[in-house]
Amino acid sequence: MGLDLAALSRQVREMSNTAARSAADTASRAALARERYLAGAGAEAHWARAVELSRTTASWLLARPVERLDTVRALPERPPAYAVIATDGSQIELDRHGSVACYLINIGQVFIRYGQQPAARLSSRPLLAYREEDLYVSDGARRVAIEGNYLSARRDVEEGLALAALADEVLDDGVPALALQDGTLVRWTLAGAERFVQDHFLQPYLGYLEHMRARGIATASYISRPRSPEVVGAIRLMFCPDVDVPAGRGARCAECSDVRAGRVPSCMPCQGLVDADVLGERLAEGQRGPLFSSMSTINVERYAEHCIHFFHLRVGRELCRVELPAWVARSPTQVDLVHSLVYDQCARGDGYPVALARAHEQAVVRSADRRAFLRMLEGSLARAALDGAVSAKRASKEFSRL
Amino acid sequence: MQRIGEIIEASTTRFTAGVYELLAAPPFGALVRAVTRSERLAIYGLVYEIRTGSREPGGRAIVRGRTYSGRELYDAEIYAENPDLAEVLQTEFSALTVGFCEDGTIYQYLPPQPPPVHYSVYGCDAAELARFAAHSDFFRAVLFAPHIPSDELLAAAIRAAARARPASRDYLVQAGRELAGLLKDDYDRLTALLRRIRP
Repeated sequence: MGLDLAALSRQVREMSNTAARSAADTASRAALARERYLAGAGAEAHWARAVELSRTTASWLLARPVERLDTVRALPERPPAYAVIATDGSQIELDRHGSVACYLINIGQVFIRYGQQPAARLSSRPLLAYREEDLYVSDGARRVAIEGNYLSARRDVEEGLALAALADEVLDDGVPALALQDGTLVRWTLAGAERFVQDHFLQPYLGYLEHMRARGIATASYISRPRSPEVVGAIRLMFCPDVDVPAGRGARCAECSDVRAGRVPSCMPCQGLVDADVLGERLAEGQRGPLFSSMSTINVERYAEHCIHFFHLRVGRELCRVELPAWVARSPTQVDLVHSLVYDQCARGDGYPVALARAHEQAVVRSADRRAFLRMLEGSLARAALDGAVSAKRASKEFSRL
Repeated sequence: MQRIGEIIEASTTRFTAGVYELLAAPPFGALVRAVTRSERLAIYGLVYEIRTGSREPGGRAIVRGRTYSGRELYDAEIYAENPDLAEVLQTEFSALTVGFCEDGTIYQYLPPQPPPVHYSVYGCDAAELARFAAHSDFFRAVLFAPHIPSDELLAAAIRAAARARPASRDYLVQAGRELAGLLKDDYDRLTALLRRIRP
């Protein structure tokens, strides 16, 4: 008992109606934004400069154009044989009402080789983190608990390190290879963190990217149905009356001239739009859009030669976002390789890369395994003569008193 | 003979093994040998069921002949183009325990312990099968085993045993006599079985 489905269904209906109304409005504003965007084609250097000038003063996310804005690249031919490696992770965070402080990260690892000598290897590797340095980041004086976002960051690091190790273990130089991750390569959740916390996670993470760069392995990540508005951010600059590149002035939202004059800001048509709304219409099956580099603070300030770039790719109904470090983005053959292999993976996986789907299957901890893990933990602690019992509050949630 | 799989479930009367190579289970009615913790003891079973499915509990295979990109793939091509399938599908077989071999002597009754889970299962070559089938005490265990296609299983095992020896016809005739004794009060079942092993 607890969820009043009758009352809920009314609200669900209202929500659907609202969504249907806003869809038409979004489409017309997206058309307007697209028109403005395409008018900027040919002036990429200008808008790249505008983006750089506005990076710290605009109140929205930005992407810097790297290729012509009207780029539409057809699907390159896929190499007849290739290898793909992927990792994905899941975590079990033991709430503090549980027995001892620890968490579990389970990393799924996948290697698949296509072509004349097909092969596959699927595995998972658990990591129980319980040491002081697993639970806290410390710079001597301060001590920050690894939980929530920071636990996700730890998992991201583990995924990256596992991918680098997997590359060493299974990839030879015989066939072209792709290393694929799920989600973004930009660790933006660390943007607001203190420097020593950022260092703690970013150093090994960038170390992993450096390892892949040294080995020359095309590395990319795949974002299904991205909601990011970074290209839209650049389009906002095209509408902005305050941007004056020759004078070295970018958008300054805090001093918006439209707002001062009591007008609606000129960039309002872009409000609520995402990159897929604008770019999606232009891309047919298998085609990719232009390369951009992400201007999120942590990417610009910390990633250096690994600065994350991205393009959009049409896969069926979906427009996905593929992210790649600068050293991949700079090489047209590597970009073509990522383009064709990511698409091939999606085609084999019914719209989502096979390697990532398999890695997820390997990583996910099912409820039966989870229960077995918790039992194992409590049994082991009991034998070690520690108080392995759950707190009274958690016990009360698990068993209702009748 | 080579190692073909690994026990994944075992009880006193039957055991199930996963095979190392997808779709490469021994045939229905084949004699297999499971090793045990003691080198002196091996357990014999007759394969009565073979199945292939998802390794994940509740998982099901999907139709893959028409691919997303419009390319058509069939049969072995599907496996060649999706090497990961061999990692997520599993072929397993179940065998009815029909006897064991201890210190070189074959006994056609139930062993003291089932084969241990994760221990190896081997196929049996013609000589081993002929040696096992020299006695027909196991017929009874197969005929009266519940919940398995017992008549089909026994007929398949007898045909295989006949093929494994030079005097096939003699063996079949002798097996037929044995069956006639076991099924003396069920004429219909006997004739159906005899038709299945007719030389």
